[in-house]
Amino acid sequence: MSEHERTQTQPSTVDAESTVGEDEQSTGARTVIEARDVSVYYGQEQALQDVDLEIPRRQVTAIIGPSGCGKSTFLRCINRMNDLVDAARVDGRLRFDGTDVYGPEVDPVALRRRVGMVFQHPNPFPKSIYDNVAYGLRIHGRTDELDERVERALQRAALFEEVSDQLEKSALALSGGQQQRLCIARCLAVDPEIILMDEPASALDPVATSKIEDLIESLAEEYTVIIVTHNMQQAARISDQTAVFLTGGELAEYDDTDTIFEDPDSQRVEDYITGKFG
Amino acid sequence: MASGGASVDRLHGSTDVRLERLKGRLFEIALVAATLVGIVSLVVLFGYIAFDTFQPLTASIQWYLIYIGTLVTPTAAFTLYARRHPPIREANAKAFAVIGGALLVSLVTYIVADALDPYDVLLYVLFGAIPPAVIGAYARRSPDRTYTGPAVVVSTLVGIALAAGLYGVLRPIVGIIAQWVAYVGIVTLPVGAIVAQSVSRRWSLRRAALAVALVLVGTLAVAVGALVAGIEPSLPVVLFSGAVVPIGYVVGDTVANEPEGRIGVLGPFVLIGSVALGAFIERSVGVQGPESYLTPSLLLNSWHGRNAFEAGIYPQLVGSIVIVGFMSLLAFPVAIGAAVYLEEYVSDSGWRGRLATLLEVNISNLAGVPSVVYGLLGLALFRNTLGFGTGVVIAAAGTLGFLILPIVIVSAQEALRSVPDSLRQAAYGMGASRWQTLRTVVIPEAFPGILTGTILALARAIGETAPLVIIAVATTTYTSPDGLFSTAAALPLQIFAARSHPDPAFRHGIVPATAVVLLILMLMMNTTAILLRNRYDRDTHE
Repeated sequence: MSEHERTQTQPSTVDAESTVGEDEQSTGARTVIEARDVSVYYGQEQALQDVDLEIPRRQVTAIIGPSGCGKSTFLRCINRMNDLVDAARVDGRLRFDGTDVYGPEVDPVALRRRVGMVFQHPNPFPKSIYDNVAYGLRIHGRTDELDERVERALQRAALFEEVSDQLEKSALALSGGQQQRLCIARCLAVDPEIILMDEPASALDPVATSKIEDLIESLAEEYTVIIVTHNMQQAARISDQTAVFLTGGELAEYDDTDTIFEDPDSQRVEDYITGKFG
Repeated sequence: MASGGASVDRLHGSTDVRLERLKGRLFEIALVAATLVGIVSLVVLFGYIAFDTFQPLTASIQWYLIYIGTLVTPTAAFTLYARRHPPIREANAKAFAVIGGALLVSLVTYIVADALDPYDVLLYVLFGAIPPAVIGAYARRSPDRTYTGPAVVVSTLVGIALAAGLYGVLRPIVGIIAQWVAYVGIVTLPVGAIVAQSVSRRWSLRRAALAVALVLVGTLAVAVGALVAGIEPSLPVVLFSGAVVPIGYVVGDTVANEPEGRIGVLGPFVLIGSVALGAFIERSVGVQGPESYLTPSLLLNSWHGRNAFEAGIYPQLVGSIVIVGFMSLLAFPVAIGAAVYLEEYVSDSGWRGRLATLLEVNISNLAGVPSVVYGLLGLALFRNTLGFGTGVVIAAAGTLGFLILPIVIVSAQEALRSVPDSLRQAAYGMGASRWQTLRTVVIPEAFPGILTGTILALARAIGETAPLVIIAVATTTYTSPDGLFSTAAALPLQIFAARSHPDPAFRHGIVPATAVVLLILMLMMNTTAILLRNRYDRDTHE
């Protein structure tokens, strides 16, 4: 990949604030995830082509694009959920705080404790609300002050008021939107640094969706949020940076959300944003 | 108007629409007939067996009138009353479950321990249970519990191995105590521990200590009372601590804490009381009851070759329970382990994946192998190769274990497959390892399904006859098995043997009565499984 293209895929906030340029040293403090030439193959099929991007800390980064463009695949590279697919193979380099995520010394289990994930369909465990939130803490052996940690996680996920008197009830009795916020609380309870969200609101009604969106914005004060969505308005509303993936698993453009939506560089991205295809 | 007339015609339907409907009706009737053929034949068969067993025509009209008055009417009235009030119905069901369950568990424990020698059972129970209990108590206070799980498993196995190794030294020491004290160790102590845990979780530690003291003092009082009265205190001790204590706890708790449904706990007592009243009236009036073959002497006597009314099947009953019990210990861990490996660990691709596919195909085929062939396998392996002797408990248990292995594997695989993948993803996404995902999410979710499969396998095993014939399990023994390497008899074999007895009272009385006992045993196992599964489903999904 040429130097010119690489420059183009840098978020301009980084450009503006780091005077040195787009070298690795400059990005250290701000950048938390750094992808270089990341390609993913499922068997013979290539799902992601030479993706280069840098995701800044404590901001919301949205990944948008048409179905099958590889946006979920990229998300699942970050916490190595692709490892669970037998046929998946990842090339290139993906750094989390400067460490190669696919390095030989990295344990995916330890990685996933620092990079939490929220899925498209709410998937609480068939346990009580309390046990759901306490799940991560228990499997990590952090059972001191369990009650306080559970309560704090539920409060940060804006769910505590609704469920405070029914913590022992099954999580499956909650509504879809509540279940998704419970999944976010479950993820927050273990204090991850990054939260990956794979279309977290696509299975929810508009009211529940707006609650989740408010929540994401408040989460960005403490966490780095990377959210995959096929809802462009949602990306425009909540994200600071937007990456647009187009068909074939290539990253078409990555920039400030405002720039992407108002003045994108490439014609294809503009066509996609304005609804001419995709 | 032409077009209007045509549309009306269309709405009325033409001949071919009617023909289609007729075909549908005929198909439905054929389906109803198919359903009825099966159910009606089964009902007729069971009716026939029950008729031969209970001989209802030999009873006088007065006998029926007495029991309709004392048993049927009050029980039916109470059941109808309870059905109308959900809290009462629930308390009623709870009372029946705890009374039936507690009596069943304590009787089976007593029967098995009595057959295998209570001192041996005590020795193995103590050595198997105390190390993990100590480790558990220690782990509760230490923050690091990483090694608790494996330590509990290993310490249990080590404890049992130790007991087996030091058997020659320890057995005489344990033998000093009275037999009923051994039963205190086998039944009273575990019951006390469960009561203590339940009470301390709900109320306080002090109350738990009080409850345990009450249980111990009560047991002691029962034992002393029995000694004074000149009865062997073992069975009273088991019945008190294994049945009276849990029944008292649950019934008392329901009466105290569920004011709306508290009348419901009377249900089982109404039933017991009406039976007792009926028996009392029957005895005092002196009416002719049915000459049933299913009598207490059938259940409690040992076999008698000449007189059908003195013949009993106690050794066979105990033999069946012991064989199936050991079989469960041998086969279920292996089968469930294999299912978990095949379903959760093996990858889909590569040579391992191909090997797994090959294995799975073969396992499905093994489930259909005739049981006689398994008998040959058992004969070759346990008697001819390992030299365990003819028709011993461990050979029978092992052979039946092989027989049910593929059934349990296939059903456990189904259960694991039905756990939604999104739950696994959620656990992995939280940073759970594969083992943690399995232990905390996948296996609990698949547990009801696995349980159903194992119970079906148990029901199959307890009725299996052919492999037992092949490995030469004795058709008739006069004593219960007293260990893994002692000869055992089993219920289905006794049915098979008694069928060719020259005395028709055996062929037409003892055979159906034994069949009824076997069916009741199976029915109880199935009921237990269904209750456990429903309970578990409700716990996790409400």
